[in-house]
Amino acid sequence: MVRIISMGSLLALQLMASVAWAADPVQEQRSELMKGARDAAKTVGGMLKGELDFDAAAAMESFQVWADVAARTGDLFPEGSETGYDTEARETIWTDREGFNQKLSEFTQAVDGAIEASPQSIEELKASAGPVFKTCKGCHEGYRIEDES
Amino acid sequence: MSKAIKWLLAAAGLMALLLWPLTRPLTVSGVDLPDHRPDPVNGEQVFIAGGCDSCHGENLAGGLELRSGFGTFLVPNISPDLATGIGGWTALDLVNSMMLGTSPEGRHYYPAFPYTSYTRMKVQDIIDLKAYIDTREPANNRVGPHQIAFPWSLRRGIGLWKLMYLDQAPVVAPASADPAWERGRYLVEAVGHCGECHTARNPLGGMKLSMWLAGGPDPEGEGRVPNITPHPDGLQAWSAADIVYYLESGFTPDFDTVGGSMVKVQEHIALLPASDRQAIALYLKSVPARP
Repeated sequence: MVRIISMGSLLALQLMASVAWAADPVQEQRSELMKGARDAAKTVGGMLKGELDFDAAAAMESFQVWADVAARTGDLFPEGSETGYDTEARETIWTDREGFNQKLSEFTQAVDGAIEASPQSIEELKASAGPVFKTCKGCHEGYRIEDES
Repeated sequence: MSKAIKWLLAAAGLMALLLWPLTRPLTVSGVDLPDHRPDPVNGEQVFIAGGCDSCHGENLAGGLELRSGFGTFLVPNISPDLATGIGGWTALDLVNSMMLGTSPEGRHYYPAFPYTSYTRMKVQDIIDLKAYIDTREPANNRVGPHQIAFPWSLRRGIGLWKLMYLDQAPVVAPASADPAWERGRYLVEAVGHCGECHTARNPLGGMKLSMWLAGGPDPEGEGRVPNITPHPDGLQAWSAADIVYYLESGFTPDFDTVGGSMVKVQEHIALLPASDRQAIALYLKSVPARP
């Protein structure tokens, strides 16, 4: 009985969490999405840095996270979401949408290339993840507000 | 005219007379230059460490607009073009401009040009830098004048500013005779001019050296430039190896990426020898921790 109740409340909690997520302001949704991209970078970067053992499957999982980020980012910067919720989005995203879209498409292409390459060694990982990392910086250079947090 | 106003005018006149010689743009003469054979290979390393093209543009043609509370500065053409660049300059002209903020015509430069850092450079490095710039392609591009509001438009006043803020002395006193530490100090305090953004400024635009490298508002507008001293608000949690890796790869220990104007800086530093990145890390871990 106790177990059933706790299972039930767990389900209810999960349901509430997912409803709350869907209702999250777009500024927070994109912030969460970027954090996911960073965590994926932590896996791949950790391998390249020599802190983690090379793991082809884990690397591919990270690539898939980036592919998801690439697919969803474009819709998460609508008009009206320029400020609020401590967003680090720079106004240039809205004043220079063409440039922003160009950077996003470079990211998408680099991620697609990495998935296609399906690296099986640390050298191959370096060759396929390097261009992705370059596009992360490429967009953060002109379209993100730098803050210490 | 009332007596008080006459006195005030007289006092202002006297002040101006007294200050005039003090605000004179300073130069060094050719006899002060060391006997040094220009080395464009070293000059290129100096150019990379200084990140000259971050502001002056990849082809060095200038034109970038830097907005500030004092007005808009237009970045000059430093390509070796004779008509619109610095092709006609001698190495001495470049030494005077970078170390004393004085143009070949004997005028003060605005400190948007970070000579407050370059003043700590080695003269030999500037001679080499000139030799390297002379190997680059001339770019014909006439850059217009700065758009600066009164009273900042009176350049002579910069002479006073220099008396307060132009100082060749090291910011951080050498902790040891370690040449790697000294190299790090040189890269951060002089050529790399890191303090220009990473140190907060007072209302006159002078760096608050008591808050050296402790970060401040982004001079380009929104956001903040981070504290890079070994303080809990800064890089205390970063090891020297973390700093080296960041400068090499653009990744923080959390695998966030470098962003904003630091991207070009990081990509330049990544081109330097690994020993230079280690030297920078050594120096940064040694500076006083500030909140």
